[in-house]
Amino acid sequence: MQMNRKIGIVGIPPLKTIQAIHDSRDTIIDLDEPQLQLPIDLTAKHLPRVYCAILRTVVLNSMHLQLDHIYIDVGPGKCDCALHVSRILSDTLGVAITTTRNQDMDDFGTPICTSSLPLMDKLLRITKGVQSPVPSDPQDSCKPTAGFWGVPPRDFSILSLFPDTTHVYGWTRCMENKTPANLQLETYCNPEIPTVFFAQSFCAKTALAKHLADLHPRALYLDCDVTAGSSARAKIEAFLELSGVQPQGTFYAAG
Amino acid sequence: MLLADFGTSYCKLLDTELNEKARILPTRDLTQEFMADLATGHNAKRRSRQSINELTALARGGKRLINKPDFVLLDCGSRDIKYVRYLNHGVADMGWNAECGASMGFTIELLSKYYDIDYASVPVPDTGFSITCGVLGMSNIFDAVVSGISETEAVAKFVRGIARNAWRFAGAPDKLYLSGGLCTNPLFTGSFPCEIIPLGRFVLLEGLKQHLETDCRHM
Repeated sequence: MQMNRKIGIVGIPPLKTIQAIHDSRDTIIDLDEPQLQLPIDLTAKHLPRVYCAILRTVVLNSMHLQLDHIYIDVGPGKCDCALHVSRILSDTLGVAITTTRNQDMDDFGTPICTSSLPLMDKLLRITKGVQSPVPSDPQDSCKPTAGFWGVPPRDFSILSLFPDTTHVYGWTRCMENKTPANLQLETYCNPEIPTVFFAQSFCAKTALAKHLADLHPRALYLDCDVTAGSSARAKIEAFLELSGVQPQGTFYAAG
Repeated sequence: MLLADFGTSYCKLLDTELNEKARILPTRDLTQEFMADLATGHNAKRRSRQSINELTALARGGKRLINKPDFVLLDCGSRDIKYVRYLNHGVADMGWNAECGASMGFTIELLSKYYDIDYASVPVPDTGFSITCGVLGMSNIFDAVVSGISETEAVAKFVRGIARNAWRFAGAPDKLYLSGGLCTNPLFTGSFPCEIIPLGRFVLLEGLKQHLETDCRHM
């Protein structure tokens, strides 16, 4: 009988890949997320320091987790950098690597994105949902007062500033829908609500985030690297407050 | 009620219960125990009973002073630059650059002392350096001086580059309201390729006053 294996995934591999890992009863580890309390600069021997923090995290996890196999999505639902990183991992770590090109277009729905769950919980559930071949559980939708567009940030702490009535857009919405290459869904946003357009620094999606923010009537473009600094948090807080939305965070709380 | 804008280099203070103008104090001269009632700025949380975000203070202060539906207001501080853009009486855009716009004001002041330059007597140069931050821009000065340009002209090109970078950061408007200590630097204000309306150093204090009045109305 085959031992339970540790399978790393990067991005959103196609549904059939996720289903196959489930059928094998292997353990999925999302390498996009920080899994270890280790300095990210340990990746410097494989990647430039000025590079996407998500992919630096992928390399850091892959270096230390003793994985049996890694599935890296390198198609239009991820990025060219993931393709390059797949080669680097293959050359340097000796782990079996399979690249995928997820072009799934069957809509699984986005109930979490439009729910009234705290934004941090929304993104935790959505990112966890990538490891599952089934749709999200149903949720009651709420009337939105703010929007978060973009990818799940490397530093989730910025999410705590948003009200629970924040709807989720962009690639995160595509994640829940299990259609990461659906550009039409990725570019959808609500012009009626103030929206933060977020991308990781040094990610190709910064261009799309900035462009959509320019088109949106009440938008803040924001990019962050490994951790969100005080100016990033203050920008979100001020943007929400000046847009008439009470921010949730405690960054500038009354003393 | 003691209001404070805790800047990196200078603090701006106003006691609303005294009939006096706002005063400016070097930040390094503040005593350990100094505590404001309401404040903004990078030390506000530690040094005040209530603090508000610097961008919020800038936006509210700008709205209070300018009182127009559409405007762009840029604050150039010692270590960062930030702007707000109003459209139809509402905030449409904002930015805060503490990284690539870092140390602009601080560097400009540092250079005037190091090279003993009075900015009021320096003409605006026709060309400048392409500069994204004070720290990285310094090497342009040294390179220019080595190539034979006078120290004063090199610094002037540096200041012009800083102003142009700040203008682009604010969205390259035709008309720009300016906040901060650099409002009194004619070389800096003259280097912008647009109409400049200097508002001085107390815009964030005006924002704190606005916050107080808004809070009182809600009580």
